[in-house]
Amino acid sequence: MVEATLDVTVGRQQRRGGAHGIVAIAWRNLWRNRRRTWLMASGIGFAVWMLVFAQSVQMGTFNVMVDNGARMSLGHVQVQHPDYHDNPRLEDLLSDAPALRKSIESLDGVVAASLRAQSFALVSAEERSFGAQIMGVEADREAKWSTLPTMIADGRYLSGPGEAYVGAVLARNLGLRVGDELVMLGTAKQGGVAAAVARVVGIFDTGMVDVDRALVQIPIADFQDAWSLEVDEAHTLVVLAEGVESSLELAEEVAETAVGLNTLNWHVLMPEMVQFIELKAVGVQLIFVLIAIIVTFSVINAFMMTVFERTPEFGMLKAIGMRPGAILVQLQLEAIWLWALGISVGIGAAVLLVGALGISGIPLPAGTEEILRGMNMPNRLYPGYSWEATWIGVITMFVGTQVAVLVPGLRLRRLRCVEALRAQE
Amino acid sequence: MSSDIVVSCKGVSRTYQEESVPVHALRGVDFEFARGEFVSIAGPSGSGKSTLLNVIGGLDRPDAGTITVDGVELNGLNETELSDLRLHKMGFVFQSYNLIPVLSALENVEFIMQLQGVGPAERAERAMSMLDSLDIVDLADRRPGDMSGGQQQRVAIARSIVTNPVLLLADEPSANLDSATTEDLLQLLRRLNEERGVSILTATHDPIVMSYAQRQVNLRDGAIVEDSAAKVA
Amino acid sequence: MPLKLLLQLSTRNILRHKRRNGLLLAAIIVAVGAVTVSNSLIRGMQYDMADAAVSNLTGHVKILAEGYRDDPNIDKNFVLAENWQPDVAAEELVGWAARVRVPAVIMSERGTRGIQFVGIDPDQEDISFIGQAAYDGERLTDGSDGRVVIGRALAEQLETTVGRRLVIITQGADGLNREAGFRIAGLYDTDGTSLEKIFVFTGVNTLQKMVGADVFTELSIRLVREPFLFQFKTSMIEFFTGLEVLDWRELEPQAAAMFVFADAAIFIWFFIMMGALIFGLVNTLITSVMERVRELGMLRAVGMRPKSVIVQVVLESSILMFIGVACGLIAGWLFILWLGEGIDLSRFAEGMDAFGMRTTMRPIPLAGDMLLVAGLSLLFGVLASLYPAWRVVKIKPLEALRR
Repeated sequence: MVEATLDVTVGRQQRRGGAHGIVAIAWRNLWRNRRRTWLMASGIGFAVWMLVFAQSVQMGTFNVMVDNGARMSLGHVQVQHPDYHDNPRLEDLLSDAPALRKSIESLDGVVAASLRAQSFALVSAEERSFGAQIMGVEADREAKWSTLPTMIADGRYLSGPGEAYVGAVLARNLGLRVGDELVMLGTAKQGGVAAAVARVVGIFDTGMVDVDRALVQIPIADFQDAWSLEVDEAHTLVVLAEGVESSLELAEEVAETAVGLNTLNWHVLMPEMVQFIELKAVGVQLIFVLIAIIVTFSVINAFMMTVFERTPEFGMLKAIGMRPGAILVQLQLEAIWLWALGISVGIGAAVLLVGALGISGIPLPAGTEEILRGMNMPNRLYPGYSWEATWIGVITMFVGTQVAVLVPGLRLRRLRCVEALRAQE
Repeated sequence: MSSDIVVSCKGVSRTYQEESVPVHALRGVDFEFARGEFVSIAGPSGSGKSTLLNVIGGLDRPDAGTITVDGVELNGLNETELSDLRLHKMGFVFQSYNLIPVLSALENVEFIMQLQGVGPAERAERAMSMLDSLDIVDLADRRPGDMSGGQQQRVAIARSIVTNPVLLLADEPSANLDSATTEDLLQLLRRLNEERGVSILTATHDPIVMSYAQRQVNLRDGAIVEDSAAKVA
Repeated sequence: MPLKLLLQLSTRNILRHKRRNGLLLAAIIVAVGAVTVSNSLIRGMQYDMADAAVSNLTGHVKILAEGYRDDPNIDKNFVLAENWQPDVAAEELVGWAARVRVPAVIMSERGTRGIQFVGIDPDQEDISFIGQAAYDGERLTDGSDGRVVIGRALAEQLETTVGRRLVIITQGADGLNREAGFRIAGLYDTDGTSLEKIFVFTGVNTLQKMVGADVFTELSIRLVREPFLFQFKTSMIEFFTGLEVLDWRELEPQAAAMFVFADAAIFIWFFIMMGALIFGLVNTLITSVMERVRELGMLRAVGMRPKSVIVQVVLESSILMFIGVACGLIAGWLFILWLGEGIDLSRFAEGMDAFGMRTTMRPIPLAGDMLLVAGLSLLFGVLASLYPAWRVVKIKPLEALRR
């Protein structure tokens, strides 16, 4: 390593002129023990890969879960009377609702918007009765964006007045079939009796028992009529955005348009999803921290071995006038190269894997379709690359490798030239 | 009297490829070595003396020719059988790195007996008496790192002959020693040869070592150019 | 080759580099400790989910009339003999409860909701969530209590509270609707809100009178041990001919799927942690072998068999792993003790509830899991040492000596 040694001294003298020499030496030193370098870079890469991959799969899954929920019927954004969300009362209405819908529809990024009015009622068929949510919908608009109208178990979706679209479990409980009549009995505005009769034209099956058991859709005009609402009154304006990510921004724009009303984004509409995502993210980060610790220990070990093996060389460098600080800087540069190599390996592997799986999807085990459907989950997962996780991984491993090199590096200050040179054997 | 012949080499050749240039380390060496002899193989570096020692010790295999050690032909043996042959019939003393660093001198001497499966009591007793006869009892509990080069070589000799091998192979035993220590060591080897009848084969270019041997074989360019035994005969 | 000698050599070689092997040990301890703790938390979650599923008026085994699951109606009923007792040893049984459960509509002055109206004998309900829940106001006193208890979340929706009256409409055994007024005895409180919104309870006799039939719609039985389930279920199927006998896995397929997933999660965790460990382990082993190449070459020269050299390297790795696993298990176990009753995750209450989990993550360390981790880790240690061992055996003793 005579050549390298010369470079080092030159590098030191030229410190102000630039550290090119010392950086190149660090790179060459890294390759003195190829196997060890690759092992350590793989370890660092593994840690970064694990974090990015796990987070990408999870975020991909969550995005789909949220989006499925939104597309089924909730929408990404909803606009309501300020009191309605906390306590849904029939009287808390959006007045002049069609005009509001029109102004929201004109916003950029709104894919669809439709009005709904809803209330609980006793639903009866022949002699049986169950409680259910009656939802008055703009059927032609709903059919364009909501996936609920496509989840038909029997019959068809709403198309005209006097029709009803009923959940499969409710239909079973009431003994209803397509073509049968059902009676809805509830409390109308100003305390009157709301009563309506409708013919079942379709039965839907979402796989979610809570929905299938307690939801009936009817045309909104029928609802307004029976529950004594004005023709321009509704409870909720449901807005579909282009995707989950863009929907939060859209919600802010909607809020600016819908002055004096309550605008809800998906965080408010699906609080359980938000918490579940946070909880899972905490889990992934915990795993990553543990992996980072284990890998850092390994890197400390590797640098300890390196320093041990090169003690005579360091003694010689010191003997020819290199300061201990400069030797440490050289080791730190080696750590940076190692880190750069490691994260390249990790990010490369993650990009390839996430990219490939993003196209092909990860199939979930057969036989779980029903369960997944009940949880709003697709049966194939499409991970989306997580740059946030990449940053966390890259920065953490930088800190880890620098800490790792300091452990043996700081001991070099106590290095005595003569002993170090003698360690050569 | 084949039983008196410990080592017999017939037409032994060994060629190395060194950077794609073939190096003929041994060219058809014929060599016999009788029980109780103290032979030194001499020659300049590159003459093939280490190679000869290595092929006899089963550490290296010849490209041609046969080697028989104590009536066993080495050619037909696999790695494990060669290991066992070395374990039971040969003793080795190398230039350096003779001893196991994590074991004390006594444990190093016991080591080969342990490999052979000798019981602990007998082992300890034989090892101690061996150290005693080599005047190094006081080193028994020290580890190699705490000994001088000469002391290490003495322990190495003790270890190599404690199992009464048929043959003791010593490759440049004096390489890392000063001349006074070398003399001591050679006197020890001569004593072992004379008193215990240990057959010793050493490769060296150190004239002191040569002067202690009964028979000298000179090797040059992979062939025997001089053998003092042949002259006597 | 005497193993004892190899053990001695390996041990001393480990001790030769205390700092290096100490660090490696620390990494193994972190890995094994983390796996142990996470396993116990996964088990805790798994058991809690199963427990929640079982407590959810399900029981380990539930007996229903044929067809009730498809059409939960009062005419899908059965009669239970007076003084009926399950044919099972007392130490295997937590308890059983016979109930009437019918769909109903509940109305307050302020709102209307669809609910499940359940008639219970409060003395039997220590097997389900309603017997364990916290209450505002009073509990039901006995099977003929004429009041109701409702969930806190439902009370909020209906804007009502303890002492107020509610009207409940359900279908009678004759097929006609019955309507009756009830006073609220108390509000119950569970971890999440999904149960609170659905279930309304009254005395079983009261509900039987209301629907006009002295019958039950379900019988749930809770066992002490899950593994006893299969045997018990078989005996119940023989006893209740003509009725449906179902276990909780059939009734709560989502929870059952999560239960199976938790078993897989234990292995995933293990392989992730060991994956992180392997690079450092292999590096340390290779280094320790490579710096001893001459020594190992000499050992081969004096007659140590190639196999013994492999064994020595494998032993070194195994000893390190063994110590690391032992310390890791202890460290993990101490951490579990420190966690004690569990980690409070009430911050995520709704999210947990939606996926059938409870808000406290309770660690359950299982000896079987620890043994599995120990066994797999040791196996892993052996596997990790094979490459370094193979490397060193490949080197001929002669080359080794020349270095």
